[in-house]
Amino acid sequence: MGRLLKSIALSLYPIAIVLAAWESACAAGLVRKVLLPAPSAIIARLWELLQTQTFLEHVGQTMIRLAGGLAIATVLGIGLGLLAATSRTGARILEPLIRVIAPIPKIALYPALILVLGFDHASKIALVAADAIFPILLATYHGAQSVDSRLVWSARAAGTSARACVFKIILPASMPSILTGFRIGMVIASVVVFLAEMISSADGLGHLLVRAARSFRTVDMFVPLVMISALGLIASSGLAFARRKLLQGFPEERGA
Amino acid sequence: MKSTTGNWAALPGVPPLLSLLGLMMAWQVASQLAAIEGLPPVTRVLAAVPGIIFQKETLVDVGASLQRMALGFGLALLFAVPLGLVMGRSRAVAGFFNPLLTVIYPVPKAALMPVIMLWAGVGDTSKVLVIFLGVSLPLVYHSYQGARAVDEKLVWSAMAMGTGNIARIFRVVLPSALPEVLLGCRVGLAMALIVMVSSEMIARQSGAGNLLFNSLDMAQYEAVYVMIIVISAVGFVLDFAFEKLRERLTFWSTHRIELAVAES
Repeated sequence: MGRLLKSIALSLYPIAIVLAAWESACAAGLVRKVLLPAPSAIIARLWELLQTQTFLEHVGQTMIRLAGGLAIATVLGIGLGLLAATSRTGARILEPLIRVIAPIPKIALYPALILVLGFDHASKIALVAADAIFPILLATYHGAQSVDSRLVWSARAAGTSARACVFKIILPASMPSILTGFRIGMVIASVVVFLAEMISSADGLGHLLVRAARSFRTVDMFVPLVMISALGLIASSGLAFARRKLLQGFPEERGA
Repeated sequence: MKSTTGNWAALPGVPPLLSLLGLMMAWQVASQLAAIEGLPPVTRVLAAVPGIIFQKETLVDVGASLQRMALGFGLALLFAVPLGLVMGRSRAVAGFFNPLLTVIYPVPKAALMPVIMLWAGVGDTSKVLVIFLGVSLPLVYHSYQGARAVDEKLVWSAMAMGTGNIARIFRVVLPSALPEVLLGCRVGLAMALIVMVSSEMIARQSGAGNLLFNSLDMAQYEAVYVMIIVISAVGFVLDFAFEKLRERLTFWSTHRIELAVAES
């Protein structure tokens, strides 16, 4: 326990130093408050807003888009990744397709998605899914490809059908890789949903930032930024923490 | 016996071309089925490509965007690679920067555009700065990983022969970390394009991202799709060209790299 506390303290001190420097620069009047508000002012404002109904509604809108897009990306990503890893035809179709689509900046598709799906949730969910699917798909594909084939052979010899093997052996065995991909996808999703809301939206955290920027309310510009970053950080470290519980019994996870 | 079509389809470059063709056919069918104005058929969009990309306005705008992207990328290279390499060689430096990078990682970089514009004005500086920020993170991370994995014996030999601290970083650590650094560059290049387009979509003054939304506002739907094709082509060509360069620079390495995913 002492070691854990020490490692937490060690990783917090640089953040504390930067925040303290920022805070004292603001307090000493080195930077103008309209340009860079103090961290304490941002946190106070965030705390105040978290108790209002409207702010929570905006957060809720963002969360709906985030969860929807991420859910689609996860299901499709894992499904297609398994397909590419277990079927030769699947790989021959999917691999070049990924090669063509992966380097495209997905955000550039956003105007087309708006044209086809409208300004509301659907186009943002589609954009989040399009961006988050690639890390999940590639991680599943690589994870499933490197599953020890002896595991599959023993299951087959014991009478498991080829299809059941995919779900009973390959999927669970690629879990470590899939979770890594999911974590990356999750952070990408939280970034993309925010950008989409900044570009065109009437609600959500990204919209709050744009609205604050229009009226030069600097503190209110930082609040949604801090909020979305905190959401991404909490989700991603929460997953890192849960990973140890989820992957109990995986030899490569020990001591990690 | 292999059929001739099998051999032909296995040529490098052919499968991606086929899948591109497949995508376009899917688009064509979708536009015919949907029959909405917002999804024009691919044939009409492709026909509109030359007319738009050879317009002076488009060339100037996209050119200016690419210039800013190159500048932001170059600055990030100068700043982030040395930082990452030093982090990889010094535990104290890594201990200081790692927690900070973890906190910065989930911040949407392009979303900083309005804040940076408060500080640096509406000109090119802000746009270059935001690209610089976006590219720096993957570059630092991969340089750090590369420098950490350098064979200690190489470093010891260099030290035994009296190589100084700075010379050691550039003459021993950088070359041996190069494959990983270049992977970071590849991710960074994708990031640069993403940040460039999205920040231009947010700030809406000039550049490729702005053209995209201007066409949307003026209901020039074909122009929207032409710009998407142009930006995608830029992304694809940059990635392809960089991959060729990387292969040449690190032909000696056994480091195999699959697709890199940009972590916007």
